[in-house]
Amino acid sequence: MRKRVVITGMGAITPLGHSVESLYRSQLEGKSGVGTISHFNAARFPTKFAAQVKDYDVNRFVGDSYRWKNCGLNTQFAAGATQQALADAGLADNEKVDRNRIGIYLGCGEGVQDFHHLVTLIAQSYAPDKRKVETPIFERGGLREFHPQRELEQEMHTTTAHLGAYFNLGGPNYNCLTACAASSQAIGEAAELIRHGDADIMLSGGSHSMIHPFGVTGFNLLTALSTHNEAPEKASRPFDLNRDGFVLGEGAGMLVLEELEHAKRRGATIYAELTGYGSTADAFRVTDSHPDGRGAIACIQGAVKDSGLNPAQIGYVNAHGTSTQVNDRVESLAVKHVFGEAARTVAVSSTKSMLGHLIAAAGAVELIISIMAIRNGVLPPTINYETPDPECDLDYIPNQAREKRVDHVLSNSFGFGGQNISLIVSRFDN
Amino acid sequence: MASSSRRAVITGIGVLTPIGLDVNSFWQSLISGKSGIKPIQGFDTSGLPVRFAGEIVGFEAKRYLDKDARRGLKVMARTIQLAVACAQVALDDSKIDKQKLDPTRFGVEFGAGLIASELEELAEAARLCTNCQPGRVDLEKWGEQGLPNIQPLWMLKYLPNMLACHVSIIHNAQGPNNTITESEVASVQAMGEAYRILVRDQADFFLVGGADSRINPLSMTRQCLFQTLSRRGDDPTKACRPFDRQRDGFVVGEGAGVLALEELEHAKRRGARIYAEVVGFGAAFDRDLSGAGLARAIRAALNDAGIGPEDVDHVNANGFSSVTCDVWEARALQEVFGNCKEPVPVTALKSYIGNLGAGSGTTELAGSLAALEHGLVPPTLNYEEPDPACPISVLSGSARPVQKSHVLKVSFTDVGQCAALVCRKM
Repeated sequence: MRKRVVITGMGAITPLGHSVESLYRSQLEGKSGVGTISHFNAARFPTKFAAQVKDYDVNRFVGDSYRWKNCGLNTQFAAGATQQALADAGLADNEKVDRNRIGIYLGCGEGVQDFHHLVTLIAQSYAPDKRKVETPIFERGGLREFHPQRELEQEMHTTTAHLGAYFNLGGPNYNCLTACAASSQAIGEAAELIRHGDADIMLSGGSHSMIHPFGVTGFNLLTALSTHNEAPEKASRPFDLNRDGFVLGEGAGMLVLEELEHAKRRGATIYAELTGYGSTADAFRVTDSHPDGRGAIACIQGAVKDSGLNPAQIGYVNAHGTSTQVNDRVESLAVKHVFGEAARTVAVSSTKSMLGHLIAAAGAVELIISIMAIRNGVLPPTINYETPDPECDLDYIPNQAREKRVDHVLSNSFGFGGQNISLIVSRFDN
Repeated sequence: MASSSRRAVITGIGVLTPIGLDVNSFWQSLISGKSGIKPIQGFDTSGLPVRFAGEIVGFEAKRYLDKDARRGLKVMARTIQLAVACAQVALDDSKIDKQKLDPTRFGVEFGAGLIASELEELAEAARLCTNCQPGRVDLEKWGEQGLPNIQPLWMLKYLPNMLACHVSIIHNAQGPNNTITESEVASVQAMGEAYRILVRDQADFFLVGGADSRINPLSMTRQCLFQTLSRRGDDPTKACRPFDRQRDGFVVGEGAGVLALEELEHAKRRGARIYAEVVGFGAAFDRDLSGAGLARAIRAALNDAGIGPEDVDHVNANGFSSVTCDVWEARALQEVFGNCKEPVPVTALKSYIGNLGAGSGTTELAGSLAALEHGLVPPTLNYEEPDPACPISVLSGSARPVQKSHVLKVSFTDVGQCAALVCRKM
């Protein structure tokens, strides 16, 4: 028998509050976390709004303020959410559990580049007549103006190292970054590490912020973001006919995954069981998903097969639902393909309608919402759903939360480059 | 349900290194003691305190790719170009017929690091939006005039997952696809993960590896700021000297190492050449940078392989040439191998090529795979004066015959992520 993996702790720092409870409650109320960007002056960017985490101070969650001082928001959000998740699981400073059997596998985004210094240095060292940067000028300027510690904290292995050191977790320590699928992939592979016996417990999830000048520039250039500047709260409208792109969000979601017998022995509260994991690539284009949903279909099928369920048993799909034209059409197609008849009755919603797109952290936060839906029997809605799209013809739980008991939930995450991950969580049944 | 009888073997090797652009030339350089550390030629480094590295000179990605794949090169940073070219080398070496491969059972997994933007791509926008005030960009001008002066696909050229994504697109690999971003340990973690995925029956064939290129003005400047780099600029070929008493820091290198990993029966059916079997993997975090975590990772890998320390022919070390990291690596090796009757030799191949970042693990592993093929273990370059703080038996001077069938690859980061992989000659 393969080992069973359950969730025994959760934590979240999101645009809808600094706890799992406030996140879920806001979602049931249909609240939007989207507003005008205040992290920097975006007034003349094509997109001027995002879903920002409000009033966050890492020092309210963890000590050792010096450690976090020069870290990017990715690491700071991760620290707060990790503290919550470990405390929730009774592991915050539980030395009775072998800390070397607790590992970390995150899908955490990179730190933030020093936009202002980098751009001014490029301007200063650029020789337009030669169309080249005079590199010695750039180098001397960089050595003078970049902050060494902040440069180091941009590196992608620093977040999990800080968490391992601060929380004393000596097990396997991983980070993957597969665009918008990252934290879901991390959770899937973390569970596999537990099943193989590399750890008893894995802290898994993700954290990311791309609400900075380079991030918004990059996504605006790709024309991936909504430009509904006149009504930011209405901009994220997954599956609606008038959707025009995704809304950038930021934050972190962390889960404590644990081998079932280990959780039982220590009397941990079991929130749900991770029962299915599917992972595929579109192998199509870096910019677009496969138009027939080839990779998404195989991915959902893989997760369903892994769980041993049949699709009709899945009561709710927490969709990737980015509010882009292509994703929402292809994802609907894929759900219909895999669910067949059952697609008519399955409830589907995109919580990105309220949260925006947390990029690498999206999947973990959405899995937490999925688990809360199982535990509380209320499904979060898709807000801003006003005009049906004939190509998106599922039940998207429009605008109002819905009471419904569900035992199994599918959560999809699809990323740039054709990265597909599906996870299934189930009501824990001994 | 995964069948535990499935086994994973390495059937193809690709390397792009400062001392060779395929496994044979890489091997020849290793065995003849040739260093790839030289003054940097790619750009003017005169503003930097460190001006040498393990640089690949004369790399042209288009020589490795067919016409269709070449079209994508313009949206690939150098790191990504190294990855896709190296994947092609590994795939060619495996001699697999892609037409006979089930694309949904073909996975890709890479280790990748941060990729620096080419400065010129931002130059026009930068010029329009600054007024010679250091550290102050006019964001309104940037949004209005700067942004439209950047290439639309700019961001995609630098995303770390694009190594694995482009490889999957070029080769129609629709199976599991992951990108691990844990710096130097990333590609060994990728190997461990792909190995497990194959064994648990979710793929039959994988291209696994890592690539990194930090030899550009922005990355080198950043490395000089936060990394303790060797300052032996007067004698670059002597700069990278793992475990030697006179070592003084990291040496930056660039390159890629990609391996074709395949399920054993799948490989046998097509009569593939098998370099080695992957038989064990372990990972841990070394919180105190003491070596205790690294020792746990190594023991886990040996246990996973079902062998003891005395069964290991040689350790392919991480060997940063760092004053501090080499000490805790040596402590971990001493802890695991200290009681062996015969000392287990340690070789550190960064001494030839420098630190390839996320590309280092699989590239160095390729050295041990070649060693198994040729029956000779290449020595550590520049190991001249033993350091009492590193009491391990470093192989130096001349190559040593392979005596046992297992090799251990050790890999870690300077902040504590550790992994170890055991391969066995079939």
